[in-house]
Amino acid sequence: MIWAIAVGLLGLLTLSIPVGIVLFLLGFGVDAFFSPFPLIRGLGNLVWSTSNNATLIAIPFFVLLGEILVRSGIATRTYAALDRWVSWMPGGLVHANIATATMFSATSGSSVATAATVATVAMPQAEKLGYDPRLFSGAIAAGGTLGIMIPPSINLIVYGFLTQTSIPQLFLAGLIPGIALAIGFMLITATICTMRPELGGTRRTFPLAEMTRALLHLVPIILLFTVIIGTIYQGWATPTEAAAVGVAGAVLIAAIFGGVSIRMFAESILGTVKITSMIMLVVIGASFLNFTLASAGLGRELQGLLDGLGLSPTGLMLVVVVIYIVLGFFIETLSLMVVTIPIIVPLVVAQGFDPIWFGILMIVLIEMALITPPVGLNLYVVQGARKSGRMSEVMVGAVPYVIAMLIMVALLILFPSIALYLPSVLSEG
Amino acid sequence: MTPEDPFEEKLLRTLRRLNHGIALMTGVMLMVCAALVLADIVLRQLGSSFGGTDEISGYVMAIATSWGMAFTLLELGHVRIDILRRRTRQMGRAVFDLFSMLMLTGTVSLISYKCWPVLERSLANSSRANTPLETPLAWVQAPWFAGWVWFALMAWLTFIAAMMLVINGRFVEADAAIGCFGEEDLAQ
Repeated sequence: MIWAIAVGLLGLLTLSIPVGIVLFLLGFGVDAFFSPFPLIRGLGNLVWSTSNNATLIAIPFFVLLGEILVRSGIATRTYAALDRWVSWMPGGLVHANIATATMFSATSGSSVATAATVATVAMPQAEKLGYDPRLFSGAIAAGGTLGIMIPPSINLIVYGFLTQTSIPQLFLAGLIPGIALAIGFMLITATICTMRPELGGTRRTFPLAEMTRALLHLVPIILLFTVIIGTIYQGWATPTEAAAVGVAGAVLIAAIFGGVSIRMFAESILGTVKITSMIMLVVIGASFLNFTLASAGLGRELQGLLDGLGLSPTGLMLVVVVIYIVLGFFIETLSLMVVTIPIIVPLVVAQGFDPIWFGILMIVLIEMALITPPVGLNLYVVQGARKSGRMSEVMVGAVPYVIAMLIMVALLILFPSIALYLPSVLSEG
Repeated sequence: MTPEDPFEEKLLRTLRRLNHGIALMTGVMLMVCAALVLADIVLRQLGSSFGGTDEISGYVMAIATSWGMAFTLLELGHVRIDILRRRTRQMGRAVFDLFSMLMLTGTVSLISYKCWPVLERSLANSSRANTPLETPLAWVQAPWFAGWVWFALMAWLTFIAAMMLVINGRFVEADAAIGCFGEEDLAQ
């Protein structure tokens, strides 16, 4: 059954059938060929119970929050402010790209939106200040991927939902690896630009007064992040409630800094509905496939397969990592995550790995998928915003950051506490 | 954009306009729900609570999800992997798109068909949610079910319109209707 599923999955996906529909079709297939009793009768109930869910409504809320911040021009201000603070480093504005992406990912939870936003604001600066287009655009594509790691992350909500792990714990677990990756990206940029200063444009310093003024634009975003994350960890609010608070905060910030209009709201709302339905079709499909696989006895078969392979847990983990890297060349974040969860997560958990830790490892791996050619959505988004130059430049520019991610993967496997330390310390009470 | 536009393009334009409106209403519903959740948090700090905000959020999510699907379809928002498709030419792409559209339409029709028994049972038993609100389930399941039927209907109409476009050799228009990426995704 596993092989039939794997082949069917890849076959149907390459036919360019929408990912959510592929998951349903596979579920129908499992029902028809591998299940002793008809499972399709449960379809309606499953669709209802999956979408009638107060946790998942955090997804549209977080998307809306991000849309409002982006469309009201807060992103542009943040970028300008961060430029004042980080452009003294070797690599100058490249650091502003990464820092802005980090900050936005911390509030919006979407990688592609983050990359698109930063690319639009940053690109015009690159030529003017003489940056190497490869490194500059690569950094935007890579920085954008952080959106799905640093909480609140929509992908972690989906992971938590499908694997029934605690979403607040996942958020906690993602915090250190996410920030470490951002710092890693900046270190790599600084190193490259120290060795090859011609890539890094001009370093600029700003008078202290101007830096302080810039801080004013950063405070609201930092405050918003603190409120969202703080209320979840303090146990005052569920992720859904924190997301609703976040939406209110975003509207407030947009109103104060003067970006509110009916048009802006309408666009944000439409963007939210579009992204939410896209995510939910995939999530409901994955739930259905999960259900059919479990009913058809996937667990037993996986155990049999594992015994047959005779892999050690570490050996298995290496195989899993390689599978993700290879699949990541062709499939994107959410799809990659959702289509692999029903098979890979039970396998990994059966070997005694922590599902929270694995969630974070998986996120790094699918972040990488966003910037590895031939299919790397962030690469296309950045290229789309560039309007000139060749695609291959963005790809080359992203390579150093892919290396940083690979190092992160190795570190997570060697030292699981990078992810698990915060959840273990903070969730005792 | 001219009056002599063929039938299928007029149809697609109408579908887009309709779903644009529905998506706006869906979004407003989500915002109202966020406001409700917010009000509940504030009230809780003051020592009281509506109770049942969680339950309402769940219903809103179910209804918003089903009614947003058709809008996402027409905006080319449902993710597809176009690794093979993009290596083909115009005609090949049209075949990929029509086939994938047919699969979607069939699957969604089956889903809506299978959603009916859920509502039917709630109607027959006058079921109420096992919660403090005791919501009559049919009240929330009816709009949820209608959303899936709407999605199936929109999918069929879009499929038919796209098919007519392809038959008439209007590949560019067909690509705009059922192709792989929304223009906005790459232009922004």
